[in-house]
Amino acid sequence: MSGSEAAAPVVRLAGLRKSFRGHLGIGRTVAVESVDLQIGAGQVFGLLGPNGAGKTTIMKMMLGLLRPDRGEVRLFGEPPSAPSARARLGYLPENPYFYDYLRADEFLDFYGRLQGIPKEERREIVRDTLRRVGLEGSEATALRKFSKGMIQRLGLAQAIQHDPELVILDEPMSGLDPIGRREVRDLILGLKRAGKTVFFSSHILQDAELICDRVAILDKGRLRAVGRLHEMMSETVRWFEVSFRGQLPAGDDLERLSSEGEDHLLRVADIASLTRVLDSLQRSGGQVLSIWPRKDTLEDLFLREVGYLTAGEVRR
Amino acid sequence: MARRWLAGLLVLMAAGSVYVSGTVLERRAAARERSNQLLYLPNGRHLKVASLGQATVLADMIYIWAIQYYSEYERADRFRYVEHVFGEVITELDPHYVDAYWLGALILIVEAGELERGLALLDQGFAANPDKWILPYLAGWECWLAGQPGRAADYFDAAAATPGAPPTVRRMRAGMVSRAGDLETALALWNEILEDPGSDPTSRAIAERKVLDLRVQTDLRELRAAIERFRFENSRFPGSLEELQKRGYIRGVPRHPDDRDYDYDPRSGKVSAPEGRVLGESA
Amino acid sequence: MSARPDRVRRRAPGIASAVLAIALNTFREAVRDRVLYLLLAFALILIGVSRLLSLLTVGSEEKIIKDVGLAAISIFGVLTAVFVGVSLVFKEIERRTVYTLLANPVRRWQFVSGKFAGLLAVLSLNVVLMFLGLAIILAIRGESTWALLPAVLLILVELGIITAFALLFSSLTNPILAAVWTFAVYVAGHLSWSLKLLKGKVPEGLSQWLCDLLYWLLPHLEHLNVKAEVVHGQPISLGSVGLAVLYGTSYALAVLVLACVAFERKDFN
Repeated sequence: MSGSEAAAPVVRLAGLRKSFRGHLGIGRTVAVESVDLQIGAGQVFGLLGPNGAGKTTIMKMMLGLLRPDRGEVRLFGEPPSAPSARARLGYLPENPYFYDYLRADEFLDFYGRLQGIPKEERREIVRDTLRRVGLEGSEATALRKFSKGMIQRLGLAQAIQHDPELVILDEPMSGLDPIGRREVRDLILGLKRAGKTVFFSSHILQDAELICDRVAILDKGRLRAVGRLHEMMSETVRWFEVSFRGQLPAGDDLERLSSEGEDHLLRVADIASLTRVLDSLQRSGGQVLSIWPRKDTLEDLFLREVGYLTAGEVRR
Repeated sequence: MARRWLAGLLVLMAAGSVYVSGTVLERRAAARERSNQLLYLPNGRHLKVASLGQATVLADMIYIWAIQYYSEYERADRFRYVEHVFGEVITELDPHYVDAYWLGALILIVEAGELERGLALLDQGFAANPDKWILPYLAGWECWLAGQPGRAADYFDAAAATPGAPPTVRRMRAGMVSRAGDLETALALWNEILEDPGSDPTSRAIAERKVLDLRVQTDLRELRAAIERFRFENSRFPGSLEELQKRGYIRGVPRHPDDRDYDYDPRSGKVSAPEGRVLGESA
Repeated sequence: MSARPDRVRRRAPGIASAVLAIALNTFREAVRDRVLYLLLAFALILIGVSRLLSLLTVGSEEKIIKDVGLAAISIFGVLTAVFVGVSLVFKEIERRTVYTLLANPVRRWQFVSGKFAGLLAVLSLNVVLMFLGLAIILAIRGESTWALLPAVLLILVELGIITAFALLFSSLTNPILAAVWTFAVYVAGHLSWSLKLLKGKVPEGLSQWLCDLLYWLLPHLEHLNVKAEVVHGQPISLGSVGLAVLYGTSYALAVLVLACVAFERKDFN
């Protein structure tokens, strides 16, 4: 564990277990089992897993919406049932929905009151936050007229307007177009720069790869892997893909992926083979178009952990 | 943990308050019920159960329905269920619905000619509403008109003894009406109630009916006397009521207050009013 | 999206502030709900119709108008309390708005109490409007309505009890069952006096004990029913009205506490 986790963690989950009654009261399904997790201040933490893995269940337990069968949740050292703990966090659920009979400013003002923002500051903070999430000018618009993307932004607004130290986001990128996703990524990084802790769940791995400090991979209710991103993914290059124009070199450690006239795409196993191919091309007068080193991606790690790939395997 | 105790304490305190105030209310309700023992017959109870706290409105609706029902004079066996409807159902739902008592009583007395049944309804009403002097007052007059002055005097005493009875009624106590058949006095006294600005609407409504009734009786008596004189002097019955007037036996031909003529049969010399009707127009 | 300079603002809101905020929001929600206006319109129409109805009667016409008026206020009040009350909590859970709301430093009992206060405010507004409609119709006939006030006040107290039950049951089960149960309590509450009679007619033992138990638990809503008295102009002492108010509000408070406890223990799936 690095230094930041040794100091009092912002989030601590210990031995969490949650099960639900089956249909018609028959049997029990275990949704989450033996989950241990700690998150230090200022980290961006990603909880990854396929649909139905239990991500939302864990988040609900973190917020006190569900009570775990076993284990405990501590936010800032307190249980989530304590309002003082919840005063320091902001939350955005998946596919949020808000009161469609309210206007945007009425809604944020209402939540501002619940969050303890004093009356004198509320108006300005509401306006300021709407600007921060890109909803400037929509103060007086009724929520029933908001598009899905606008609702998502409003959800982010209520999660951050009271300047919480911990922000919990459930699938914050879902339903957003690439521009929206970029904006959410920037927001999260902005929060991190301001020293906030961000905990989010996602099944979009590319986004997680770009912004997370640490990740946990959850499958069927159990944690498969937890740790710093770059520690979990090896830096070794699996193979190289070389595309070139010219004569095909000989060799049985080469795999031809595709050919189009004189343009070819080859897969070579390691640096030694690569060097040989490049030498051969130079001698035969061929032209190298591109070289791409295939490294471990988060997707590989993920698929390995959920059993889609065997250990050590990567997607070809 | 502390909040559990607080919640429990709050519930306990609230429950205690519920118990105490509920018990007191219970006793008071029971006291009311004992004084009205006579009225809680099993019958209307079922309706009361179904009314779910809207018993008075249900009584109103049934009363309005009963008015329409009893307005159909062609109906066979009209008078069979009058007590049940007015005396059991409606008044079980709303024991203080005075209109039901006197309307039912008048239907029985004036239309069916059943004095005893009518009086029983008025008795029931007065027992449930000891402050409504109009009920025994009406009962007294009906007895008097039926030629039972003794009973009438008892009723008048009861009416006069009721707190809030007007002077007119209290004068009856002195038994000033002694002769049976003194229609003028009856008419005058009912008129006083009708014209007294302090009369409540119920009493005024009843007075209006009685005044109309007594006017008819007065007219008939005057006509019968005139016809008798005519026959005595002319050895025949007058051909019409107009002849009576032309020959000076009466000043003007009285008309029924419903704006129609009295029925006169020249062959028998009998004059009569259209059958008295409590509801709707006379035949 | 930009970052903002640090500002410390991490305290939980005061108790009154939270309950008030939720009550205000609930009031706003109900007032912007069209179903409310439908019910109100029906009630006012009924009161107007009673004027016509009174023409059919022999004797006191004002009695008809007053009776129908009070019945309308009572019945439509109960319908509003049940249907709006049951849907209040249900909608928040079904649309998951309750998740973000409870993620704030608000206690669960504050949520339930706020809903209760907000709905009671709406019901009070409805009752006042309906009473005004009745007063206008009676004033046209030269009748005064102030004598009816004790009955109206107690109707409001009764609505408080019904609302509390609606909130309790909607925390425990789905909205349809919750509405059925709440109506059942309303019906049973008006029949509680007949339990005493029933006890005399059932065999000894378990049945009688059951009658006793039900009698103890149920609200005796007839204690809050003085419609007959006010319409007939019978005097009602301030003391007995006060006693009935105490009874009703205590009962409602007890049920509200239970509703808070039920909501406290709820798992949001």
